[in-house]
Amino acid sequence: MSVLSPAIRRLARASIADARAFTTSSSRLQAEPLQKPVMNKEFKIYRWNPDEPAKKPTLQSYTIDLNQTGPMVLDALIKIKNEIDPTLTFRRSCREGICGSCAMNINGQNTLACLCRIDRDTSKDSKIYPLPHMYIVKDLVPDLTQFYKQYKSIQPYLQNDNPPEKGEFLQSQEDRRKLDGLYECILCACCSTSCPSYWWNQDEYLGPATLMQAYRWIADSRDSNGAKRKEYLQNEMSMYRCHTIFNCARTCPKGLNPAAAIAKIKLELAAD
Amino acid sequence: MSSSLILRSALPKVLIKRSLFRSSIQVRQASSDPFAYVPGGPIYKGTVNDPTTFPPPSKTHGSYHWAFERLLSAALVPMTVTAFATSGTNYPLLDGILGLSLIIHSHIGFDSSLVDYLHQRKFPVFGPIAKWTLRAATVGTMVGVYQFNTNDIGLTELIAKVWTA
Repeated sequence: MSVLSPAIRRLARASIADARAFTTSSSRLQAEPLQKPVMNKEFKIYRWNPDEPAKKPTLQSYTIDLNQTGPMVLDALIKIKNEIDPTLTFRRSCREGICGSCAMNINGQNTLACLCRIDRDTSKDSKIYPLPHMYIVKDLVPDLTQFYKQYKSIQPYLQNDNPPEKGEFLQSQEDRRKLDGLYECILCACCSTSCPSYWWNQDEYLGPATLMQAYRWIADSRDSNGAKRKEYLQNEMSMYRCHTIFNCARTCPKGLNPAAAIAKIKLELAAD
Repeated sequence: MSSSLILRSALPKVLIKRSLFRSSIQVRQASSDPFAYVPGGPIYKGTVNDPTTFPPPSKTHGSYHWAFERLLSAALVPMTVTAFATSGTNYPLLDGILGLSLIIHSHIGFDSSLVDYLHQRKFPVFGPIAKWTLRAATVGTMVGVYQFNTNDIGLTELIAKVWTA
């Protein structure tokens, strides 16, 4: 007391002086900072650890305060990983729906965690699984090797043996418009992994995402390899396992329609 | 004591039997090489950088099959309407065509589900058995419907009778 008191008294005098200098109204009328109520919501998240392969995958429950969290499911996942459980594993990158990393199954629907709002109804829990019917690397991370190998098989690049003499390929506005709704695909694999045909036959059936990209190159007026591209699909398995279930069009987080692209390939092949 | 001994001696046998049965219907169990390719399994063909391959192109299995299936399905609609409007005894040919189309239509449908769920590459024994059973059943049904249409009242009349019965 005796040692500190002069310093404390000086501090107190200074603060009173400051308050007198800067406040214009009495402190009683000043607004209290708003204390948001606690809004706890339960998230049940699929957990599987490759280091313990004999242990069955489980749903682990986490409860977080929605008023201290961002609006999207990805915000909740990041909050859980930062504050509760650093072993929770998931892919994410851009947090704005253009990279396709955070594709997962949220409340029964394949979507991007960064584009999916958290349901504010705290009486119900939110269930988060990895993309269905894929081999799992860890927790919410699926193995997309086969998906990328299939994408590579359709040769997703411009092929033309007669490039223009000088300058670039020119395209009419109508021809360019044919690519709208196709080129926006970010290959998040939401559509392919929602397709029952892809679940049962993903070693042979290409799946909606890859087929839509196949059509993106068939439809391109600058590409001259269309006949070859179509011939690849002329078999029982690669495309004709599509039974027009339309799960792909319903689930696409970018609002694209792979089913329509597949239907157009089928029509072009039939007219061949 | 004796019961536990019996249990102990019986259990491995049951397990062996079951695993034999599973490997006979499905190529899940890799025989010796744990990294052998299994269709649909976690082991992929080639390296991760190799693209997947396509089966040999065949229009019969591709676009012709699809176009035939769709045209047949579309044609069944007017055929069914005609069968309602006319009588099978007066137009036996229409009755026969309707019967044939229905059988082929169902054959394509069943065949499609066999390709989906019991394909030979995953079920080397069970797949061909299912395929040939379906083919035998289709031929049998064709013969039966032919006999029924020539020697009895015919398909359309039968449905009309069952409807009013």
